[in-house]
Amino acid sequence: MNNPLGRNSRTAVRLAKGLLAVLVVLAVIPQGGLTQKFVSDPPFKVKIDFNRWHDTAELYADMRRMEQAWPKFVKVNVIGKSYEGRDIIAVTINNPETGPEAGKAAMLIEANVHGNEIQGGEICLYTVWYLMENYGRLEAVTRLVNERVFYIIPTINPDGRQYFFESPAGNTRSGHMPTDDDSDYQFDEDMPDDLNGNGVVEQMRKYAPGKGNYRLSATVPRMLEPVPFGEKGDYLMLGTEGLDNDHDGRVNEDDAGGYDGNRNYPFDWQPNYIQRGAMDYPTQLPESKAEVDFIFAHPNIAGVQSYHNNGGMILRGPGAEAVGDYPATDIRAYDELGKTGERILPFYNYIVIWSGLYTVHGGFIDWTNDGMGILSFSNELWSGEQYFTSPELKEQQKDPNSPIAPQKSRAFFDDKVELGAEFMEWKTFNHPQFGEVEIGGTWRKFTSRVPPRFMNEELCHRNMAFTLYQASEMPMVKMGDASAEKIGDGVYRLFVDISNPKVAPTILERVAPNGVVRPDLLTLDGKNVEVISASWIGNAETYKINPTITQFIDQKNLRRIMLRNGLAGKTSRTIMYLVKGAGEVTVKYDSVKGGTVSKTIKLQ
Amino acid sequence: MSRKILAGATAAIIAGLAFFGLGATAEAQDFAKYHNYAELSAMLKNLADAHKTLVKLESIGKTLGKWDMWALQIAAPGGAPAAERPGLLIAANFEADHLIGSELAMFIADTLAKNYASNAEVKRCLDNFVVYILPRVNPDGAEFMWAPLKWARRTNTRPVDDENDGRIDEDGPVDLNKDGLVSVMRVKDPNGEYIIDPEEPRLMRKADAKKGERGEYAIYREGIDQDQDGFIAEDGPGGVNINRNFMHEYPYFKTEAGRFMVSEIETRAVLEWILAHRNIAAILTFGESDNLIVPPNTGGRLSTSKQLDLVEFADATVAGAGRVGIFPSAGGFGFRFGQRGGGGGEMVITEEMLSQLMAAGGPFMFGGPGGGGARGGQAATQQTTGARAQRPTRTAATTVNAADIDYFRMIGAKYSELTGIRQQPFVVNPEGAFFQYGYYQFGVPSFSTPGWGLAGAARGQGMPSGLPGMQGGPPGAGGQSQGAMMTAQRGAGTGTGQRAGGLGAGAAPFGTGGAEQAQSYDRQLLQWMDKEKVDGFVAWTKVKHPDFGEVEVGGFKPYAAINPPAAKIAELGKSHAGFALYLTSLFAKVGIAKLEATNHGGGIFRIKAEVENSGFLPTALAQGLTAGTVKATKVQLQVAPESIISGSSKTSTVQALAGSGGRIKFEWLIKAKPGDAVGLVVTSQKAGADKRSVVLK
Repeated sequence: MNNPLGRNSRTAVRLAKGLLAVLVVLAVIPQGGLTQKFVSDPPFKVKIDFNRWHDTAELYADMRRMEQAWPKFVKVNVIGKSYEGRDIIAVTINNPETGPEAGKAAMLIEANVHGNEIQGGEICLYTVWYLMENYGRLEAVTRLVNERVFYIIPTINPDGRQYFFESPAGNTRSGHMPTDDDSDYQFDEDMPDDLNGNGVVEQMRKYAPGKGNYRLSATVPRMLEPVPFGEKGDYLMLGTEGLDNDHDGRVNEDDAGGYDGNRNYPFDWQPNYIQRGAMDYPTQLPESKAEVDFIFAHPNIAGVQSYHNNGGMILRGPGAEAVGDYPATDIRAYDELGKTGERILPFYNYIVIWSGLYTVHGGFIDWTNDGMGILSFSNELWSGEQYFTSPELKEQQKDPNSPIAPQKSRAFFDDKVELGAEFMEWKTFNHPQFGEVEIGGTWRKFTSRVPPRFMNEELCHRNMAFTLYQASEMPMVKMGDASAEKIGDGVYRLFVDISNPKVAPTILERVAPNGVVRPDLLTLDGKNVEVISASWIGNAETYKINPTITQFIDQKNLRRIMLRNGLAGKTSRTIMYLVKGAGEVTVKYDSVKGGTVSKTIKLQ
Repeated sequence: MSRKILAGATAAIIAGLAFFGLGATAEAQDFAKYHNYAELSAMLKNLADAHKTLVKLESIGKTLGKWDMWALQIAAPGGAPAAERPGLLIAANFEADHLIGSELAMFIADTLAKNYASNAEVKRCLDNFVVYILPRVNPDGAEFMWAPLKWARRTNTRPVDDENDGRIDEDGPVDLNKDGLVSVMRVKDPNGEYIIDPEEPRLMRKADAKKGERGEYAIYREGIDQDQDGFIAEDGPGGVNINRNFMHEYPYFKTEAGRFMVSEIETRAVLEWILAHRNIAAILTFGESDNLIVPPNTGGRLSTSKQLDLVEFADATVAGAGRVGIFPSAGGFGFRFGQRGGGGGEMVITEEMLSQLMAAGGPFMFGGPGGGGARGGQAATQQTTGARAQRPTRTAATTVNAADIDYFRMIGAKYSELTGIRQQPFVVNPEGAFFQYGYYQFGVPSFSTPGWGLAGAARGQGMPSGLPGMQGGPPGAGGQSQGAMMTAQRGAGTGTGQRAGGLGAGAAPFGTGGAEQAQSYDRQLLQWMDKEKVDGFVAWTKVKHPDFGEVEVGGFKPYAAINPPAAKIAELGKSHAGFALYLTSLFAKVGIAKLEATNHGGGIFRIKAEVENSGFLPTALAQGLTAGTVKATKVQLQVAPESIISGSSKTSTVQALAGSGGRIKFEWLIKAKPGDAVGLVVTSQKAGADKRSVVLK
């Protein structure tokens, strides 16, 4: 019988068969390539969660897990003990196959000198993890790990970190050397009390209708506000949860600690009456002493990042106006890094400590910059701007009636975005001294200084990215062309191009005259060679065409030229020697922070 | 001054000195020499063993060379425990070459221990107070005096790359004339700046072109350019000068100051120790700076430094070593400093950010500019768009507080009276010195003296200070910092342009005195050596030099300019022991002058009390209050806080009580019952304590 579909149907059938064939093929061959198997992103070797907070023990345990996972690169060393006897660790990341550790520029990353500034420790965890997971996968990471060294101190104040986690009231920047804050010759004897045992020190109020000095806030009913003059409210505020432990008539007047570890470093250290919290002398704290000793023992450290919170800042020194701002060439390097940082870290501003924040004497990065010649930043992690980020929302916040107006924004975020994770509701309690009271009304301490947990990974990654950028721009000396030009009578002119293509100089101009960094050494070795003179020139080719009168390098021993200024960032220059002799000559540039390079030239 | 008073004063002085001469049983021969570490340690142990109830010996730490830094505690048993009594600290030999300090400290220890039983003054002191003595803070460095090659330097033994050339201790002095001493050498050199002083051919001075003088000599440290860097003896063994390593006016980056403040074991040990002994109410150090022979002037400044010219001239030749290899910076972009301070000053700081920052950990603003303050109701501080968000900064005090000056001047006058020392032998700038920390940061009366002086010239003479270019600190010594440096301006130093004039004795203004006028310290010292028959000068001797051909070696003998002859130790020791006792007699002393109770009936009693300071010094100097390091005196009524109805609280604090009977009153109304004993306790950090109780009737 005739094909009921006719000639067109045969075409259609052919088409259909063809289509089916294609579909079959497509089903068998994965999209995007004929030979590749289509799978999920490769799993990570070490699993760490970046959406929760790790106390000291867990932080250290995670670092050790990574040491075990990548033993060639990662080493966990104890560099000292805190006041309460906890280890202070420094994690080294170095590839032993690419040269001695001391010969490579090192980036020091440290965090948490203030006990309640904990997320820097998480960034340290993230940094080790990210570098190791991506070594071999990302070329930039591989190069960074091969060429540089990292020293990572995840917490320089483990006592403070632990206190923040464990203590109900623990929201303090101090460490735990006892101090006598109330001048009664006893130490830390009247600290806050967690009366209701819920692990948080809260506020106490007593319901006293018509007799109180506080009332429920009209805008945010969970909060209290003082009543206007002449009026009465329904609540008496009794202060923070506590008892008069030492029976001296005062409540909670001598809490733990009471100093600021970041005022205890030996540059522009000032006594307590000028700089509150500075303790009795610099490096008095075992923590700052351990850190200072470590840094002093590692002169190859060429970059520092010290993580703090909060405010959304990329800080550089000086910490005090009287110390004087940095010289222009140093500022140029800082500016380039800092401004780039602003683009990596939205809502963070690059500012100078004394003029943009407040005066700090004896701070860590002041010492590392001025006392050790290390280009140093300190990031204040997390900005209040990051809760409601879009321009539209920020506009809305200007309206006092908006549900996210500043007075209400915190409550809104907690309710709607964090589902109530942060607020402590008021609950009744029987107080031994005050009778029936209500305790509550506070925010948990894991709030405001630290980001919401779900936003921590981004915070870690972006800050790490800025730090890795700074690390990649640490000085690195390179030698270019090295040649000899015969003049006659055994006299030769040698040209060696030397450059530092990175942003940071080998020696900060700030410290060049001060003797805190060993000068760069330009040495010439040759058994049968005598040096007649040495000069810097811009460039060999220009010189050969148009030789100008060069300045002598006026040092007695031209075989060992000292360069106290080092090599500035993004600079290249050429050294020109006049020598007499024969054979081979090796010219070497040896920089403590810029590495060592050399070239050998045949005199012919 | 009337004849009678003068006679009386003289008699008192003679009696005072004689009293120590009579009573002291310190064997003269023990103190007729300078003692090395082994001998010093043995003396200390013997003293502690011989006077077990009075003297305790402990080590406050071990130096780099693993030697002990010794501390003595001298106090009689009975009464308050030593740690609660006002204490006098005597500390010495921070600078390695200041051995006389060690000897004086030892002599005082010896005198106190041996005279407790027989001398009323000593007994009063040791019964009520405690005397701590650190006789040798830098034992490693002090031992240099007994090295085969004697080179008077002030440092410890830490290897330091003095000129930062990448090599450590590679070019020290060389004993060219084989006399076992390091002095200086002069070399004939038409480019030299110096000539032989025509008035005193042993000395040299700068040629004055205006007088037609032409330089003939260059002067160097005795040595050879061993590392061939163009400098002679610029980097010898050691070290850090412990008395440049403390925190007050720390001399950043100077060669002997250490890597950073408190970098040295010795410095840290002393600080740790003194912070554990906060009952110390006064400090007396023997060292190379002075605030006793010449106390602070009315502006609160110390005298200017004096150095030996010969030494200065030689040191000047190595001053540039730390600057070789500094090249002018490659052309910048023409920014002025701070102009492009990374946005600092140009950044907009919102009220919100400010209040966040000021709150330092308090509640946090959630987004959005402006609006109310972060803390309930508190308005954020002023608008700061564009301006610096800055609280006013304070700078540390660097001159003696006006309210404290009188005490220093009075005590300085007494010092000169008791010791007879009226002319400084030499002084160095006390930048980074311990005694300055003692006053400005530890907050107590704190003194330093070389412990001896050049006799003869009246006070106020000698090199006029403050005249530009004539005196002052060593010129350009070792690599001074170029960049803008330091918060604390120079307190001691060129100062007010007047010599810290004498007290009361009508010090002659500088410049008078005829032939003695405008003498260099070198001249004064040489005259004194000649007069006292001190063999303190190496006569210029020709020697061969590998680079210069022929040179002459000579100059002051090391240690001879810094320390008096050993024969003088005993007499100096005696007078300084007297001064130490005098200092303790000034201590503040708190006490309850009155405590009474009145029964008002109904179980209500009125308690009235008066607390007074019966000592001479206030319980805290003005600087102690400024620094906040002298704890307030605590006055506490020993009742439960709930029983106080009105009046003072249970615990009150008194910032400072004036001396010589300064008083403060307290009053309480309490609930109690007859028969209760109500106690009052007064505790002071540096002025002792007292307690009393009253039984209610």
